[in-house]
Amino acid sequence: MIADQRFGYMEHARQALGVAAAPFHWLADTPARIGSSFNDIFVNRADLIEENARLREELLLSRQRLLLAESLSVENNRLLALQNASALLEQEVLPAEIINVSPDPYSRRILINKGSRDGVFEGQAVLEANGLMGQVVQVMPFASWVLLITDANHVTPVEVSRNGERALARGSQRSGTELDLEFVIPTQDMEVGDTLISSGMGLIYPKNYPVAEIISVSRSPGQPYANIKARPKAQFSSTRHVMLVLDATNPDYAAAVNDAAGIEEESSLVSVNSAN
Amino acid sequence: MASPALLNSLIALTFIAAALLAIVPVPEWALYYRPEWVALVLVYWVINHPERVGVGVAWLVGIMVDALTGSLFGLHALGLALVAYLTLRLRLRLRLYTVLQQASVLLVIIGLQLLLLQWLQILFDLPRGASMIYLAPAMSSALLWPLAWLLLGGLARSLDLN
Repeated sequence: MIADQRFGYMEHARQALGVAAAPFHWLADTPARIGSSFNDIFVNRADLIEENARLREELLLSRQRLLLAESLSVENNRLLALQNASALLEQEVLPAEIINVSPDPYSRRILINKGSRDGVFEGQAVLEANGLMGQVVQVMPFASWVLLITDANHVTPVEVSRNGERALARGSQRSGTELDLEFVIPTQDMEVGDTLISSGMGLIYPKNYPVAEIISVSRSPGQPYANIKARPKAQFSSTRHVMLVLDATNPDYAAAVNDAAGIEEESSLVSVNSAN
Repeated sequence: MASPALLNSLIALTFIAAALLAIVPVPEWALYYRPEWVALVLVYWVINHPERVGVGVAWLVGIMVDALTGSLFGLHALGLALVAYLTLRLRLRLRLYTVLQQASVLLVIIGLQLLLLQWLQILFDLPRGASMIYLAPAMSSALLWPLAWLLLGGLARSLDLN
């Protein structure tokens, strides 16, 4: 029976049970929901004013960055068009909420409240405000499971934003909160503090989203590969809101990219990229 | 003696509550020590009402747990079926034991269940821990057994079901 599952014969049963499981997940999520609504009710006026001021300030800063990013992206697109390169910075996202986490401490997975009814598909990339989060691995009608990039069985293709050195980031076996860079030869240029962004290889994750920051590098003579650890940018435990990238693996995507390479009037590039 | 319908619905309700406790989000460190709530409830009903709850029901409940946790289908079903089978074999002795003796037997039974799950996870190349900490839930389940026994027993008695 378990072997059946490996070859996907149980997909229909899984879908049906997924519907039956929805109320359970809703119930199990209730304490967290009540907690956050309590937070909304019992809140200090001074705290609210302070938070409001902080958010205003952040909004102002983000606006300013967005303005800069817009002009940059226009310029970038023109340069890319000159090079005939195919990269599109604009991506639509679908907001979703985390409603549960996997009870298995060894697999890093979360459950989100969007499913096949909302057009979620397997392999869809999931983002958080600070960076890449993971990909959808199991779609049910009203919810789907997302495998996080920190899972030990998950590998993210990344590159260093400083110089474009590529590597593979696998979830750490020992601690569930870090990434190990695999197969980095000691001569590759990677330093502590470098930002890793998604390289777009593997065609699951869109290019150029922040993934992690390198926190330790050790090159020991005699070892074929350097030992490099990175901390993910995404806040896995403190956020409830995530975004699903809509069209990265869409069949029309390649065509859209090719079209965009020739278009110059991309002035309305309000992408999630620039919000980062 | 109350109606069998009432007893059946009580059994179903306790399994649902246990399944909810099994998926309620808890802090990171507590994940490793989360008791096997479903197994505790299962053992209680197998000891007290083996004519209603046996290996088959354990299998069905396990499928439900698999659906809830998004794990490989049949993983928890097999584990809980093993728990039900072992409890059935030891049932007559368990009924004579004190609660503390029962808890020590439960430690072994749930330990075996976790061992089976670990083997299956190795077999199917699923993510798993590298250390012996995967046995920690057996300990916490055994510690909670007296509480579960009193709670479920009190519930059944107050409804005049025993």
